[in-house]
Amino acid sequence: MSASQADVKDRITSVRNIRKITRAMEMVAAARLRRAEQRIEALRPYARAVRVMTRAAAHAASSAEISQNPLLQIHPEEERVALLLVTGDRGLAGAFNSQIIRSGLKAAAELREQGKEVSFYAVGRRGVSTLTFRKQEPLGAYTGFTDRPAYANAREVAEDLITAYADGKVDRVELIYNSYVSALTQEVRRETLLPVQEATIWAAAGAQEDTSFAEADQAEATAHALVEYEPSPEGILQRLIPDYVEISVFRALLESTASEHGARMTAMRNASENAGELIEDLTLEMNRARQAEITQEIMEVVAGAEGLS
Amino acid sequence: MARTTFDVEVLTPEGSVFSDTVEMVSTRTETGSIGILAHHQPLLGLLAPTELRLYRGENDYARFAQGEGYVQVAEGRVLLLVEEAHTPDDLDVAELREKLSKAESALSGAEAGTAEFDRAARDKRRWEAFLAVAEGTATH
Repeated sequence: MSASQADVKDRITSVRNIRKITRAMEMVAAARLRRAEQRIEALRPYARAVRVMTRAAAHAASSAEISQNPLLQIHPEEERVALLLVTGDRGLAGAFNSQIIRSGLKAAAELREQGKEVSFYAVGRRGVSTLTFRKQEPLGAYTGFTDRPAYANAREVAEDLITAYADGKVDRVELIYNSYVSALTQEVRRETLLPVQEATIWAAAGAQEDTSFAEADQAEATAHALVEYEPSPEGILQRLIPDYVEISVFRALLESTASEHGARMTAMRNASENAGELIEDLTLEMNRARQAEITQEIMEVVAGAEGLS
Repeated sequence: MARTTFDVEVLTPEGSVFSDTVEMVSTRTETGSIGILAHHQPLLGLLAPTELRLYRGENDYARFAQGEGYVQVAEGRVLLLVEEAHTPDDLDVAELREKLSKAESALSGAEAGTAEFDRAARDKRRWEAFLAVAEGTATH
């Protein structure tokens, strides 16, 4: 039994309206994605300059003193692990939020099986509310900026984790976020944030794949020139170490934002396409209903005429 | 009298905020106030929060609220890497006051010698410096 013409017409109108909204959301997401990509680009020169500086300072510093930095110390008894989940403030972005929460909970379950104590830190309203709902109250909840994270936001998150680590409240910190591959692809990535691998610092100081020759030359030149250090190469490196953590968090926030807009754009494009198909099906159904009504009327007229003759 | 000029760039994680030729850079490192003129010897230093001034001429200078960072003088060029650099117009006095009082209460609640204490002290220092820039009371 097919619905009446008027019913189908109403449904078509409402699906059309939904498509208007999903199309608008797709366009907004596309514009925001471009901006988010530019912000990832904008971080590169800073990160590169910090690397060059690290290399210059490391050439002049004594490694023994650097190794004393609390963020480089591996805690011998690794009992408490903190997981930082980076989600978004809003939904309607496909699997963007759920895949982070899923891998976060899975990681927590594995760590608990190994007898470790797990605590959560969450960026984004989605992550915070889901964790709270699951009785996994995050120790740190950071919301309201995932559309456009500022460096100050990353610093706040990073410093909470850094102080917890340095004060011995946590023995390892892991970061789980959507890394940005392209508008169509986002990959869940899990990285160890703390302790900072001492190798990372010295690797930045030594040769690195993504290092251009010019960059290496520049560091070399800086190291060999008579450089005045204020206060000392060691003092400079001591501050560079936490800055590496802040930059890592900032990069994760920026990539997550780009991923969110990319995921939302794709989700909304699919929704618009589905709406289009639905409209086609419904239009066909409406035409059938109209045809049936016309046929019915003709039959009635014919039957009436026959009755008269 | 016009001084010799040199290139300066101020880079933040959110992009470059200043790139121009200037006569002098006036800022603060962890060891104290510093004025950098052309032909300064190579330097690598830690920057402390303060008002950063980039002098294009005697009385023509750009002002920024500068957070912590690094200064590098190499090959006649000055590079300032700062975590935050805002023009005075971008600063919100009410917001800064709120952040400052938050940092102050965190500081009084923290135990000296902990990382938490150091962090609150650094926050307090940053917001005080920014507030001075916003209110135009920064000393130079």
